[in-house]
Amino acid sequence: MDPLLQHLERFSEVLAVSRTPHVSTWDQATVRRALQWARYLHHVYQRFCSHESIRTTLERRLHSLRKEGGLGAGPVPELTNFEALAHCDILLSLRLLKNPALGNAACHYLLQQLFPGQGVPDADGETLQDGLASLARRGSAVHMLRFYGYRENPNLQEDSLMKTQAELLLERLQEVGKAEAGDPGKFLCSLWERLPQKNFLKVVAVALLEPPLSPRSQGEELELGSPQILREGSQELVHWLLGKSEIMGAFCRNVPAGLLTLVAGRHPVLSHAYLSVLTDWSRHLYYDLQKGVWVGAESQDVPWQELYTRFQSLCQAPPPLKDEVLTALKSYKAQDGDFEVPGLSIWTDLLLALQSSA
Amino acid sequence: MAQESGDLVSDCQFWLQKLSGWDQASTLETQQDTCLHLPRFQEFLRQMYEALKEMDPDTIMERFPTVRQLLAKTCQNPFILAYDESQKIVIWCLCCLINKEPQSSAESRLNSWVQGLLLHILSPFRFDVKEVGLFTQCLGYDPVDYYPGLLKNMVLSLVSELRENHLNGFNTQRRMAPERVTSLSRICVPLVTLPDFEPLVEALLTYHGHGPEEVLWPQFFEAVSEAFLLRKISLPASAVISLWLRHLPSLEKATLHLFEKLFSRERNCLRRIECLIKDSLLPQAACHPAVFRIVDEMFRCALLETDGAPEVLAALQVFTRCFLEALEKENKQLKSALRAYLPHAPPPLATVLSQLPYDLPPGRWLQPLQHISQLLREAVEAQAHGSHRGPLESWFLLAHFGGWADMAAELLLRSEADPPAALLWLLAFYYSPREGGPQRARTMVQAGAVLHRLRQLSGRGQLSARDLQAAAGERSPADPSAPACGPLVRRLLLGFLLGTPEGRTIAREAVASAPQVFPQDPDWPAGAWSVVGPASAEQRPARESWARPEARLRVPPAPTTGLLLLRQGPPRRWTERRGGVTREHWSFLVEPAARPRPRVSRGLVPPLPRPALALPRGVE
Repeated sequence: MDPLLQHLERFSEVLAVSRTPHVSTWDQATVRRALQWARYLHHVYQRFCSHESIRTTLERRLHSLRKEGGLGAGPVPELTNFEALAHCDILLSLRLLKNPALGNAACHYLLQQLFPGQGVPDADGETLQDGLASLARRGSAVHMLRFYGYRENPNLQEDSLMKTQAELLLERLQEVGKAEAGDPGKFLCSLWERLPQKNFLKVVAVALLEPPLSPRSQGEELELGSPQILREGSQELVHWLLGKSEIMGAFCRNVPAGLLTLVAGRHPVLSHAYLSVLTDWSRHLYYDLQKGVWVGAESQDVPWQELYTRFQSLCQAPPPLKDEVLTALKSYKAQDGDFEVPGLSIWTDLLLALQSSA
Repeated sequence: MAQESGDLVSDCQFWLQKLSGWDQASTLETQQDTCLHLPRFQEFLRQMYEALKEMDPDTIMERFPTVRQLLAKTCQNPFILAYDESQKIVIWCLCCLINKEPQSSAESRLNSWVQGLLLHILSPFRFDVKEVGLFTQCLGYDPVDYYPGLLKNMVLSLVSELRENHLNGFNTQRRMAPERVTSLSRICVPLVTLPDFEPLVEALLTYHGHGPEEVLWPQFFEAVSEAFLLRKISLPASAVISLWLRHLPSLEKATLHLFEKLFSRERNCLRRIECLIKDSLLPQAACHPAVFRIVDEMFRCALLETDGAPEVLAALQVFTRCFLEALEKENKQLKSALRAYLPHAPPPLATVLSQLPYDLPPGRWLQPLQHISQLLREAVEAQAHGSHRGPLESWFLLAHFGGWADMAAELLLRSEADPPAALLWLLAFYYSPREGGPQRARTMVQAGAVLHRLRQLSGRGQLSARDLQAAAGERSPADPSAPACGPLVRRLLLGFLLGTPEGRTIAREAVASAPQVFPQDPDWPAGAWSVVGPASAEQRPARESWARPEARLRVPPAPTTGLLLLRQGPPRRWTERRGGVTREHWSFLVEPAARPRPRVSRGLVPPLPRPALALPRGVE
């Protein structure tokens, strides 16, 4: 077992090096050996993918290869989970191909090995050549579907691109959580800093809705594993969202109303936070007597329309959430003086508008 | 070699022009055109690769100056890269262009250009999913990690959109626009054989739009049909049946494909025939009357073409049996919908024929057999007088249910009394439907005589081959070239050989030593043995043990070339689609006044790409 674990570590380093200019020193023999190692690990994957215990041990070692501090600190660990072993040979091949530092002779040799031509049978099913061709074919399929068949689903949680990103995020979270020195919170913070925030928040929202509870999709299996793990991942996300008020604020601002309502319905803790954010926003508005509308004092204040849309969406949610929101609104209205006339208390106006649309 | 490369050069030019026209497969017309040419283009790529791999890069650039442009344009076309093995062959061609030791900077540049294209193929169009790409990069994933998951999600979401259409009914907002469905079916054409796409293909096949026209692209049907027949895609039976109902040519191709497998040169035992027929899913599909009629028509054509070859007959009988089983599974009874399946059969005859009494003891067979014989006789005699349908119509109906003939033969061999005329007539009609009245009477008399002689033999104990020859009767002096006995007599002899213990001991020897009774034939027609013995389970092992090359039975060719009238020619191509409760999708009935006799080898499916199907002929 130990030698195998060591091999994993070594190969991980090889993968890391394959991206760097160091490959200029590689000759044909090195390339051959690297490919053989990759093929060997691919075999390891095939043999042990159904062996629960061996698989867990290997996964644990792979997780421990993560450097301290998660992604933000050190370089990205190359082999991060057991699944990655399945196509580590393709990974290596692509990296070497992409690397301009690889010498001419080595490159030529690499291409010969990767694409030997027709009629080269392999004992264990799919050859590396077939794997690469399959990748190309799938890539074209994704492109064609995206360009000619794809419509962004207005329900983001059902949108396939969003779902895929959410699944990947949860998978990574799970690994970070399992690593010995793993800190999901820090991991999420680092992502927050590096990625476009709007998209990231939407992905987080979709991830909070996995696994989907609707009866129709219960038959579909997620690749990630048991719902238990997904719930843990969700918990991490909730925890992180509630950590900093600016994050929660941005979350409530950028995620569409409908999606946010679903998330709040699923996670009561978040619904409280959401409500308090909305309350906070509402308190920033004042009534403009001349125009007869509620406006914000500063430009970044949330406008009335958006506030109203969000409350409306919440009031269309199923009972526990809906009742909670209405109770809160009514209590705020009472605190403000329980006016029935518009223009004096924002809570009155909101309730009036909501009732008239209901 | 020079001529080949000359051809290739001109092909290169042709395809280069084509590719320039297709550009990036952006418009509808270019997509359609691309899909039409995908297989030919792949073939061309293969030929190019064969040529290029023999040359070194300099020679290549000399001989094929436009090859770089060609390959570059190919890499820009997602339809081509998505099709079958085209992407692999393009990669091979590109690898041929690489210089092992670049001497000049131009050669180095060529090398890096090739490498760039290779990378482009292997990680195609990544810039499209920009947000996703950035996200996954940050998380440390590569396309090879997440493409399968992404593809699966995209396919699943499309599938659920398609399925929702059913449920939503009048909710026009959520309904998928027909153009979008058409466009999806067009995208699927190159990708039909990708396993990830199977759910989408299935959903499209079972998708029913809300208008009367077909929304799916015809080429999509063709691609699915081809992939299904070559076993490159696995689809549930409901999807395949839906394919056949919506696209007639694929049904025809599937039936022809089955015929090819059934009537090949190699021997097929009954069990294998049944397996082949069941695997083809045709019996299940035939529960739709329209499908049954088409397949039935093709069997009829095959029988006519081969003058009633035993294999075809056997296949028809097995098919009918499987079809009845499938009907029963769907809780339908043939008798309630007889007109739908066999519209030209007189109902009382069809009803009686279709109810083969498997559980009746032999003692009770006589009555139904006599009834059938009488009905058939009436039908044949009515038909012989003037109507344009010949007696072959009735024969074809009887041929579906060959078990009756087996029962009649067995009854005749068993009984001690004089053979009833009705049974003799039935068997004579079954084996020689084209005989006229007097000829048939003679056959019946001859058969009666043979039976009498066989009965005398059976009491005697030990038998020899000569005894059998004697029982077969004298050669007719008037016509020495004709075979010594007709198919009916041969059937009775064989039945005797297999039915009695004394007969079985000498059977092999008897058959081998009596060539005029059992003509030696290089083709072993598998179905021959099916006409021996009823199709009951316990008889099967004994029968199959006799499938030896020496023992053969062959229906001799009909001496006449008299033409067999048909009630209609090959079904007309589907023109309309009928909606409604039963969801029949097309009407195909044609009653043309005069149609040329169809030939199975050519006429059924005119644009068949393969060479004509060669079915065994009556005479070698």
